[in-house]
Amino acid sequence: MNLLERTRSVLGRAIEVYRGTDAARRLVELQRRLDEPLRVAVAGRVKAGKSTLLNALVGERLAPTDAGECTRIVTWYRDGHTYQVTAHPVVGQPRPLRFHRDHGALEVDLAGLAPERVRQLDVMWPSQVLRTVTLIDTPGIGSLSEQVARRTWDLLTAEDEETPADAVLYLMRHLHANDLEFLRAFHDTEVSQPNPINAIGVLSRADEIGVGRLDAMASARKIAARMATDPNVRRVVQTVVPVAGLLAETAATLTEAEVRRLRTVAELPPAEAEPLLLSTDRFLTMKPELGLTDLEREELLGRFGLFGIRLATTLLRRHVATTATELATQLTERSGVSDLRAVLGSLFFERRGVLKSRSALLALDALTRTQPCPGSGAVAAEVEEIIASAHPFQELRVLSALRAGWVTGKPAVIEELEQIIGGAGGAPYVRLGLTPDADMAALRAAAMEALTRWQRRAENPLTSHELAIAARVAVRSCEGMLAWLAGVR
Amino acid sequence: MSPPAAATPTVAKAITVVDLGLRACEAYGRPDLATRLRTARRTLTDPSTHVVVVGEFKQGKSSLVNALVGAKVCPVDDDIATAVPTYVRHGEQPAAQLLFDTEPPRREPIPLEEVRSWVTERAEPAGTDQPVPDGVEIRLPRKLLAGGLVLVDTPGVGGLGSTHAAASLAAASMADALLFVTDASQELTRSELEFLRQAKQMCDTVVCVLTKIDFYPFWRKIRDLTAGHLRGELAAPVIAVSSSLRARAVAANDAALNRESGFTELVKFLSERIGDRTADKLAGEAAGEVVAVCTQLEAQFEAERAALADPAAAQQVVDELTRVTQRVEALKQAAARWQQTLSDGVADLNSDIEHDLRRRIRDVIQEADAAIEESDPADTWSEMQSWLESRVAHELLANYTLLRDRATALSHEVAEHFQQASGEVLHRLAVPNPTPQLAAAVVEHKVDLEKMKVGKQAMVALKSAYGGGLMFMMLGTMAGISLGPLALGIGLVMGRKGLREEKRRQRTSRQQQARNAVRRYCDEVSFVMGKHSRDTLRKIQRQLRDHYTGLAEELQRSNQQALSSATEAARRTQTEREKRLRDLDAELARLRKLRAQAEAVRA
Repeated sequence: MNLLERTRSVLGRAIEVYRGTDAARRLVELQRRLDEPLRVAVAGRVKAGKSTLLNALVGERLAPTDAGECTRIVTWYRDGHTYQVTAHPVVGQPRPLRFHRDHGALEVDLAGLAPERVRQLDVMWPSQVLRTVTLIDTPGIGSLSEQVARRTWDLLTAEDEETPADAVLYLMRHLHANDLEFLRAFHDTEVSQPNPINAIGVLSRADEIGVGRLDAMASARKIAARMATDPNVRRVVQTVVPVAGLLAETAATLTEAEVRRLRTVAELPPAEAEPLLLSTDRFLTMKPELGLTDLEREELLGRFGLFGIRLATTLLRRHVATTATELATQLTERSGVSDLRAVLGSLFFERRGVLKSRSALLALDALTRTQPCPGSGAVAAEVEEIIASAHPFQELRVLSALRAGWVTGKPAVIEELEQIIGGAGGAPYVRLGLTPDADMAALRAAAMEALTRWQRRAENPLTSHELAIAARVAVRSCEGMLAWLAGVR
Repeated sequence: MSPPAAATPTVAKAITVVDLGLRACEAYGRPDLATRLRTARRTLTDPSTHVVVVGEFKQGKSSLVNALVGAKVCPVDDDIATAVPTYVRHGEQPAAQLLFDTEPPRREPIPLEEVRSWVTERAEPAGTDQPVPDGVEIRLPRKLLAGGLVLVDTPGVGGLGSTHAAASLAAASMADALLFVTDASQELTRSELEFLRQAKQMCDTVVCVLTKIDFYPFWRKIRDLTAGHLRGELAAPVIAVSSSLRARAVAANDAALNRESGFTELVKFLSERIGDRTADKLAGEAAGEVVAVCTQLEAQFEAERAALADPAAAQQVVDELTRVTQRVEALKQAAARWQQTLSDGVADLNSDIEHDLRRRIRDVIQEADAAIEESDPADTWSEMQSWLESRVAHELLANYTLLRDRATALSHEVAEHFQQASGEVLHRLAVPNPTPQLAAAVVEHKVDLEKMKVGKQAMVALKSAYGGGLMFMMLGTMAGISLGPLALGIGLVMGRKGLREEKRRQRTSRQQQARNAVRRYCDEVSFVMGKHSRDTLRKIQRQLRDHYTGLAEELQRSNQQALSSATEAARRTQTEREKRLRDLDAELARLRKLRAQAEAVRA
């Protein structure tokens, strides 16, 4: 029985035990959630660029964005057959809302509801991307209005019930003490110690780090890499990826007309273009003879930002990109969002089953403790057994122990250990440190080799106690891979 | 070292008045009064106005300082932040020095290009055998700085709730003005506003500088939002600037671009509203010193004049002055009321401050215990460490604020008591003169003393107690103390059963360790801080005592001179007497003119 099946069966048992109570309804909901797409919350401080990144990931301008503080209601974006927006008020029944979409972003008419009286908005939107992941946009932490911030906190650290999100993308602009506190609160302490398995850090608005210099992204990558090695960051997120959200959002929705306007700027001699691109004010007002209206200039600036305009015109001028499609590809690549997609794939989507089971088991564990009833003891025991024995959870525990620095050894050994238990991704070739095109024979040989190596380490009397335990988990991982490889044949 | 260029017309006038006062002191043989004026003159010609640049990480503080002085003196990097406060002030030649807050303070010259390696966060703080300096001083020949402006670039306050935030606030309490830097990417956050509120209590002049306006198209909107937050209680102006445009404008000597960068407004604000205002304040204080000197000299002449004008009353004047001698003598004695106030006050203050510190630390320990009880230190220890450090730093800051306020109040009280006693002395000194103008003048004397001495002494003492300029006292206090790592005792527990029990057992032992570590840390901090406060108070006590004893000595000397001239007057012949009277009237007229001039400057 695999992990998801075991989870499903213990949930089924719990539903029997709690039949006829309120809890049973929640459990049915939990069971259904196991089959839903992974729920990923986009969280972070105010103005970290959460809505922009969400749009970039969906590839459409859905979430409204603004220079001031904008998102005030937790909003769920999920796939569906029709376009539909539902409000869940704090008190009362959910009700459908009217909405329209003029200038890209969605405009929802709250129909007289005050934003603070709405617990969440549900946006159903047919979309390829949303089929694999449900995205949750959250109001920023550190917001000036206490209530807005409170709402995000509740969403991610709900007490006595399941956390609504399975995983979180945490946007940070630069490392703040507040950020870490927030992350810690998100992590539970039951399935594993505070652990980075369900969080990825995003160094957002990356183009602003170099204040719009053309090499800003290189600088941002360096910073992200440095942050990812910081022990405090490692304890809470798996990795840190730099993303220029605005650029990614615009690249995903680039129009021919925009490219034409950019070209008029790109065709200027560099000596004339440079003063124009010196500041946003200059871009808006200089060179009236250019043939761009004030409105067009404003739109360009709003869509690309100064960094985007500088980058796009440079790409056009140097003929790195000549068509709109090429430019979109270039900008997407440079914005870092494709790296983020790859990381999301290997760290979240591949582990969907584990993350889903984890959310469900946590909720069940909490339920049996807060609302014991005849028969719930047996359910609790089964939950603990799954949590303690299921191999994926053991891997996660070792991973978080590694990240927290509790397991020590030679750096090379620790690095290999992290890789083999799936720290960089769950696919066998990743675990074994091979390339994606490695064939079956190579994979099997590498897995066999790793198995013997880790067995030796596990049994070596000189290995420290913690490392020996971790090594035994690594052995199980190797055996699992070998079994899977045998199955493929 | 800086040219004696007067910052403002008022300062120029003040210098003239002080020079006249100095000449008078020499002419009348009062080197003791001259010393006082010379000190005032030195402060006038080499003033320093500390403007501290504070803000969150990466808001462009160093770039702002660089753009202001038009040179890359403070290192700017996308990632690495400023770690050491940097003081940029005027100098004939560009130069840099490391400052070490040792006892006594130490300075070490370094080449300008090495500043970067000292000021930025170092990758391996422990790897170097060089001690970390407490500050770096950079001198540059700049017109903007010539008026005594000192720009202080500070480490980012990192979350604004951190230890650094407390340190910045401590520094703010000694600053003449605060530039709060925030970039145009977003409106002020809650923690920024909170910091501003606290800062405003520490330093009256706060300016919010909105940076990077070349990059953010919506900076006007952000500026208006920010200005909206700052309206009301904070009342801090917002100035929007772009450091990169300014840097270009300086390089290309482009006046239009310079205006676009917003720096013209900032520079104007710095030099006029902050620099000039501080200079004028200094000028006022110096003029006040001249007035005080005039008062003493006048009193002395008035006494002699009274003795000369009415020979019959001469003996009475002499008797009166002899009695005054005893009073002045008493003023210097330990039994004098002001002395009593001072020593009792310092003793009370010592115990109150200590009690306050204990109470605060006890509260912190209780809170920490509660937090440890609720969580597993294995998860939370590193957050706990930074929480504890910043929490303690803020308590220390509050404790220090209490010390500052109470010491200022004490200084007021001592000043009042001294001035009551001395005013009486001055009054006696001049009482024999029957003219009504002088009665009015006597009232004025009292006012003078009141205006002059109150409050200022305590700040002077505090500043000297903390090593002269601005000091990151908190960091200094806390640098040597660390919470240390916990032996976590984490066993990786695998297996089917007992996972939870084993975890619980380990957790209990970690909590115990954590509680002990917190106590050790707090003990150490209160020990160091307690010593710090006692030393500071001792310095304040000495400073106040020396100051007022000095004043008493001046009074004594004035009285002695008055006494001897009055005694002499009794022995003079009629002709001598008339001649001396004419001289005296002339001297008095001259002194009154000087006083009028000084008072004009002060107004």
